[in-house]
Amino acid sequence: MARFAMLIDASRCTGCNACRIACQMQWQLPPERYYNRLEHNEKGTYPNTKWEITPIQCMHCDNPPCRDVCPTGATYKRTDGLVLIDSEKCIGCKYCMVACPYGVRQINYDGIPEKCRFCAEYIIEGKMPPCVSTCMNEVRIFGDLDDPESKISKVMAKKAVYQLLPEKGTRPRIFYVRK
Amino acid sequence: MIKISRRTFLKASALAGLASSLPLMMNFGDYTKAAELAPVTRIPTMCNGCSSTCSKYVYVKNGRVWKVEGNPIDLKSSGRLCARGHGMAADVYGLGRVTQPMKRVDDNSFEPISWPQAFEEIGDKLYKIINESGGNSVMWLGHGGKEHYANTFLDEIGSSNYVTHYATCFSSKTNVWDRMVGTTLNSDFDNADYMLFVGRNFAGGIIPGAMNRITKAKERGAKIVVVDPRYCELAIIADEWVPIRPGTDLAFFLGIAHTLISEKLYVRSFIANYVYGFEEFWSANKDFTADKAAEITGIPADKIREIARDMALNAPKAFLDSGYHGLHAHYANSTQIAMMNVVVNALLGNMFKVGGLMPGASISLGHVETPARETPEKGPRADGAGVEEEYPTVEPSRGIPQIVPDLIKKGRVKALFIYHYNPLRTAPDPEYQKGLKDAELVVSIPVDWNETSLHTAHYILPESYYLERTEPPKVVSGFIAHDNPQIAVRRQAIKPVHNTLALLDMLKGITAAAGYYNLYPFTVEDEIKASVKPLGISPDILMETGCIEFPANVKPVFPTKDGKPALNTFTGKIEFSIGAFKLYGRPGVATWVPPLVMPQGEDEFRLIHGKQPWHSHNFTGNNPYLMAISDKYNGTWMWINKGRAEKLGIKNGDLVTISSEKAVKTVNVKVTELLHPDCVWIPSPYGGFSEKLKTAYQQGINYNDFIPARVEPLSGSVMGQEVVVKVSKGGIS
Repeated sequence: MARFAMLIDASRCTGCNACRIACQMQWQLPPERYYNRLEHNEKGTYPNTKWEITPIQCMHCDNPPCRDVCPTGATYKRTDGLVLIDSEKCIGCKYCMVACPYGVRQINYDGIPEKCRFCAEYIIEGKMPPCVSTCMNEVRIFGDLDDPESKISKVMAKKAVYQLLPEKGTRPRIFYVRK
Repeated sequence: MIKISRRTFLKASALAGLASSLPLMMNFGDYTKAAELAPVTRIPTMCNGCSSTCSKYVYVKNGRVWKVEGNPIDLKSSGRLCARGHGMAADVYGLGRVTQPMKRVDDNSFEPISWPQAFEEIGDKLYKIINESGGNSVMWLGHGGKEHYANTFLDEIGSSNYVTHYATCFSSKTNVWDRMVGTTLNSDFDNADYMLFVGRNFAGGIIPGAMNRITKAKERGAKIVVVDPRYCELAIIADEWVPIRPGTDLAFFLGIAHTLISEKLYVRSFIANYVYGFEEFWSANKDFTADKAAEITGIPADKIREIARDMALNAPKAFLDSGYHGLHAHYANSTQIAMMNVVVNALLGNMFKVGGLMPGASISLGHVETPARETPEKGPRADGAGVEEEYPTVEPSRGIPQIVPDLIKKGRVKALFIYHYNPLRTAPDPEYQKGLKDAELVVSIPVDWNETSLHTAHYILPESYYLERTEPPKVVSGFIAHDNPQIAVRRQAIKPVHNTLALLDMLKGITAAAGYYNLYPFTVEDEIKASVKPLGISPDILMETGCIEFPANVKPVFPTKDGKPALNTFTGKIEFSIGAFKLYGRPGVATWVPPLVMPQGEDEFRLIHGKQPWHSHNFTGNNPYLMAISDKYNGTWMWINKGRAEKLGIKNGDLVTISSEKAVKTVNVKVTELLHPDCVWIPSPYGGFSEKLKTAYQQGINYNDFIPARVEPLSGSVMGQEVVVKVSKGGIS
């Protein structure tokens, strides 16, 4: 069984937002709904400054708080690691939105708190999520951690990585390259 | 409105429906079965989110555009697309489009007319104007592109007045490189060890293929240095950001050149063999030391020397990128800036060298043979470009778009065709540009209700959107060194959504109605066939793939003939001294020319502008997807240096008033450490004032509001950053 994950090298991101809109097109979202965002951080004082950008989306946690609080089991963890929502079961209570420490859920027009789905239907065909494939700076690498030959496995073997908010115990499937 | 159309689409699109209606734990077989229900076709075409025109694939289902992807063969996209590439694809369904031909009935209203009526009325008026005032009173004013269609018409009537937008963008670069080098050269990102970008933000004015190469170069250890008044997006991935006092880039380049020459770091054999005018340059600039450059630019002299030395150390695998919009139309010394770009690179001996600057790969497309026609002699150019007693050194092939209202007032221009161009928003001083309306005939050919069409056009003829039309192939080249020639084609992906036409069909209709029969005796299919004929490929292969690469034909060798340098210049060498400039009483070599204006007071700033990564300069501003990004990241805000803001009592997010002699406007500010204290920075997409473009309308402000329509005499540019503005806390009271 695959163990899907994503590696993000935030130091390569120059904030073009192609990831956001490629995802919106893929999933036919309206302009104001998006499944990934960029956190901007300016450091230092002129002229010794730095501008850092961090892409954020659903972390597909191995211990997802959104699943744990869901009263109907609508949010579930697929065996390959994807955290998904069964919209038939969702009652729109928004507990998951409150529980997510990364703030990645957005209510869609059906009242379902949606989010990045790691392009569930596409990756099983071997396709890349468009946030990965459209990125000119190759910020993201997506793949199967159980496959030692996958690009993500090879790069992660070489680089120091970290996860966001490890103290929450969520064990995210998105890793970031340490600067 | 948007919500409704989006929902309708969701219902109509089986694959999107599948996402929510099928169990998510489905297996591969289930997925395949479901996918069969919604046939998706993938059509190769070329983007038009900006003028880089990347090759891309359009996915179409149920006759509607679903999504787009970069074409991996294409040099420009390298298989990747920016936000504009995605967003502008969706704009084919945008609410700002002109949906049928329109005729102005009074000041603020238009009535729909049929295409035959439009052709007949425009043809009649054109016939009368040409008879009374001559063909030279007709002007074609466009962004630039599809010249051959316009020029066929202008040749037929004897008009020399083909004018592009380039003077608002980069005309000093093309003017200078053509005279000094005889061609332009491209940065070899793949092989360089040191890259210097000055006023060129590849991560804002994006070419995805270039950024992909730059980040890969960094990965393999190349050094990247960005010199810019603003910590631009490219600076994020650079090894170093070197802020420079805006308007002083020329001094920086002179300081670099002085260091290279005085410390004997330049490649003497390259200069001896391939450069004309070195001595003249050096004797004019012997005293312009790095210390003098430091005083003017605010960059420490040691830093200037360090950059020069590092470049020399890495030469010839080091370059100063030849730049684009940033430095080549916006200063009184933009022409000299462009000249210094050639000088610095030549001193490094990097031209026609791997890792330096390389020529574009060449390939010649064929064209349709048409019967020869007798054409009248052309009159002088109305804008004076290339005209002895007016602007003799400005390139006539590009022209001076910003002064067209004057040319109408002078009676030089009677009929004006405006194609894919919006000077009321992208040229200086919109109130002045409204004078375009006073020509006897004004025909605008846009896709949307841009400001120029709304406020000046007598007729609006909507062109089919780029996804709705097929066009003859183009050679893919520019900015990125690549040894293999490529050609690409724009192919129609969907049927026109509205009652629109391709430009060729409009011109057939108008010219026939004006009495010029059979001026375009071919179809676009004929053109495609003729284009690829000399290349030994079938049109079908091109239409199926969208972009084709041919065997490499670029060699890292300085062009010679019979053992002598053979560039397309007078001497065959790189010419540091431009004869034509001397002929008209100007120095032949670049020397220090101060900027026109300098901010002095506590509330004074130089107003500079630039691209935002998810917008083009202007025509993406009505796109709801791209504007939603602007909303989220406060994209319309003006940037101001934090230290300067504090002195004026201005806090982040405050409303401020900004004024020049031309305009007083109100805008929110981003207070930041990422900007030089001497300037304020405005992103260029905003300030829409067409009531028919509801998403763009009154969002942010535009730099063009604050500048008068001026002409830099050597290259014709607008000098768009030669303006001092006053900034004060609070909105207009």
